[in-house]
Amino acid sequence: MGDTKKGMGEFKVHRVRFFNYVPVGIRCVAYNHQSNRLAVSRLDGSVEIYNLAANSFQEKFFPGHEGRSTEALCWAKGQRLFSAGLNGDIIEYDLEKLGVKYSVDGFGGPIWSMAADPSGSYLAIGCEDGSVKLFQVAPDKIQLERTLERQKGRILSLSWHPSGTHIAAGSIDYVAVLDVRSGNTTQKMLMDKRHPGSQRRRCVVWGVAFLSDGTIVSTDSAGMVQFWDSETGTLVQTHPLASSDVLSIAVAEKEDSMVVGTAEGTIFHFQLIPSRSDGKQSQWVRTKPFQYHTHDVRSVAHSPTALISGGVDAHLVIRPLMEKVEVKNYDAALRKITFPHRRLISCAKKMQLLLFQFPQRLELWRLGTTDAAGKNEDILPLSRNAEHLLQLKKKGPENICCSCISPCGSWIAYSTASRFYLYRMNYENNTVSIKRVSKVPKFLNSALQILFSADSTKLFVASNQGCLHVVQLSEGALKHLHTFHPQSGTLEAMSLLAVSPDGNWLAAAGMSSGVSIYDLKHLKPHCAVPAYNFPVTALAIAPDTNNLVIAHADQQPLPDDKTPLFNQHSLREASENIRRRHAHAFKISKKFQPLLFMDLLDEGTLVAVERPLEDIIAQLPPPIKRKKFGT
Amino acid sequence: MAGAHTGQAGGRHRVAVRCPEPFPGHGAEVERKMVNLRPRRSRRTLSAGKALDRGDEEEDSEEEEPAPEFPNGGPGAETMEEEGEEEDDDEAPEEVTFASAQAEAKEDERRLRDALRRDKALLKEKRKRREELFTEQKKRKLLPATLLEKLTSVPQTKIKKSLPRLEKGNTESEKKGKKEKTFPIRVKKRYVACRLKDQDLIDLRQQAAKGFIQKYLYGRGSNRTTVNKFLSLDNKRLPVKKPAVQFVNNNWGTERKQGAKKFKKQWMHKKKLASRRPNIT
Repeated sequence: MGDTKKGMGEFKVHRVRFFNYVPVGIRCVAYNHQSNRLAVSRLDGSVEIYNLAANSFQEKFFPGHEGRSTEALCWAKGQRLFSAGLNGDIIEYDLEKLGVKYSVDGFGGPIWSMAADPSGSYLAIGCEDGSVKLFQVAPDKIQLERTLERQKGRILSLSWHPSGTHIAAGSIDYVAVLDVRSGNTTQKMLMDKRHPGSQRRRCVVWGVAFLSDGTIVSTDSAGMVQFWDSETGTLVQTHPLASSDVLSIAVAEKEDSMVVGTAEGTIFHFQLIPSRSDGKQSQWVRTKPFQYHTHDVRSVAHSPTALISGGVDAHLVIRPLMEKVEVKNYDAALRKITFPHRRLISCAKKMQLLLFQFPQRLELWRLGTTDAAGKNEDILPLSRNAEHLLQLKKKGPENICCSCISPCGSWIAYSTASRFYLYRMNYENNTVSIKRVSKVPKFLNSALQILFSADSTKLFVASNQGCLHVVQLSEGALKHLHTFHPQSGTLEAMSLLAVSPDGNWLAAAGMSSGVSIYDLKHLKPHCAVPAYNFPVTALAIAPDTNNLVIAHADQQPLPDDKTPLFNQHSLREASENIRRRHAHAFKISKKFQPLLFMDLLDEGTLVAVERPLEDIIAQLPPPIKRKKFGT
Repeated sequence: MAGAHTGQAGGRHRVAVRCPEPFPGHGAEVERKMVNLRPRRSRRTLSAGKALDRGDEEEDSEEEEPAPEFPNGGPGAETMEEEGEEEDDDEAPEEVTFASAQAEAKEDERRLRDALRRDKALLKEKRKRREELFTEQKKRKLLPATLLEKLTSVPQTKIKKSLPRLEKGNTESEKKGKKEKTFPIRVKKRYVACRLKDQDLIDLRQQAAKGFIQKYLYGRGSNRTTVNKFLSLDNKRLPVKKPAVQFVNNNWGTERKQGAKKFKKQWMHKKKLASRRPNIT
């Protein structure tokens, strides 16, 4: 499905559309107020962390696992991230090494919900057997402290009172209020069973929120948002919002605004509006609906200035609220993030091969060729179609973290969270054969980034311990050449690598420590580019002049004339930024569909991998039916 | 009798209706009779220990029929009894000594205990038999040792590779084949062999939990539609109506199409062979 087309200037462009990547739906979002970061977990168990201050750039990525299915995500004291899922474990993530620190069994069966108390030192989990368990967050581990009174059904949602004394637990057909100190149920509010639609379905309370004045807000599967008084257990207000489920709720820190997400893809904004002119009494009023999703919105979060929602259609939507934003600039626009901010495609330039990375497999394709020549804006016919050469399934339950193919096409390497795999490829008379290199050195156990040198003799691996390994590749064996240890002494992992085409320089970008440049001929570190406010999104070294080009999250590329390095036409990732860089000028071309990858094959050919949004939406699960007048 | 009427009309379900009393003095008695007719059994067991003397109890204990069965045509029998009792109420109630009442109560108790013991013994027998049955079934289910040997010797080439250059699955040689269906050896039933290691990830409770979500969000009562219909909704409302987003279902009739392709290949091959053979006329 790739066709070649003459682009602007003098390039032939291979437009590739056969990368059948469907982003995984979002299950939970959790906002951290202290660091202004957002943690997002997806249905395949992967977790991503976005830096909202840096233009919502995806900073960190934890690959998923087949046995995990996260149902709840929360931040605790000291910037610690925890998740809990249907396999019954609570997992803590190591944000420095980008891996799982440990997992603790909850002993209650599948865990449906988790919430951290306002001080961040306790975690409450709601389990399948109806119990709410309290875990104490110790400096190195978490410990089960107590189990509160067991309820009748599975606990689907939890919320702490801002004082930390009571917990509201939502289950099927009721909401219970538990006293933390004694463990008893102080109040139980039963849901009204009569609701429109089929009578036999029970009312599932998908979300609860506990406000400081004792009001409990519950959202249920009947499409209603109800306000209850926790002292008396009576219903104060009810808002029938939709005819389908209301799946999630989030309250702002100041408790003057709230957001709920429904299964139809709409999010509603509630605000506390003073009802009398003297401002003494106030009431919750539903103010604005936003329709940014097509499928269920499974999770919402509320930052001080924006509403954040994520759902089954895999879009992460950040909607700044106009009245809260001080400066009306580019930041105040709606952000919709669909594609990952990391590289999923590598290109073997000499052999015209593309390696696609899916979470659970790798696919190798050969690009089609064309013999025709044409003028500008022509679509040239293919003389040979693109072929699917190889599909490599991952081994084991962990998802693939990163992958790379060497420029000559004879080596493929990929890594999961705990193992590293290297394969040797052989292309002879139109067949492809693959052989695994079994004796991989012990230190290569898990890589965050893999890169091959331009002449395919060296392999650079950025491990999660913060070191950078250089390995020499030869026909039979691997020889460890050198390891660069982190200079500043921090164990921060390298997130990006770039090597110069002549093989002398290697640039590595850490997450917040700037770009370090290593001299490969003498195998020692050369210099470092000081850290900038915004993290680095793309890195490249150009062929002739050896200039280092760094792109930052604020979309200001900085051509950097450090030591003799060159300018290269290679853009790693440009999902919303559809840019193309020419020889010495930067031009923006908006002709392409959402771009996932772009690279220069040789002097005059570009390859661009596009992913039209319609192709993605066609493969999503069924949405709720919408009734439109006249159809 | 008014009581009789209600008895007959109700059949099994006796209704304690306050009927007009022909004998004003005995209204209370009549009513009491009718109310007690249903829970007669429980009254007996409850007051078995008590040696209280009530006229009803004695008369009730004489009628030993269990409530659901009516060997003597229940409602009819009751009414006759009632009539008899009412006549008796003109006289003084019979005197029954404490000893005889106590003896009767003890008798009842003993009978009850015996019945319970018998029931328990019966249940125990049943349970024992079921246990034996299960162990036997289990023994039958376990493969005999000889069969297991044959299974391990099946060649590994059973794992299919459609095209050697296209598919590269997890074919490690130490695995005994993940899911192999029918073997070419003499087995009576079909066996599916799977690795126990894989089963760790498939937790039954997790499956149940996922099933719960699936049922409530995508199950029977949920108002779901296909993506195609969802996206085509806008096309229907345009001033110039456009067709659905996916108008043609390419997956329709795949087997027939494949059969047709195969047939075409075979036919062409036959034709080729036929044209090569010399024509004998």
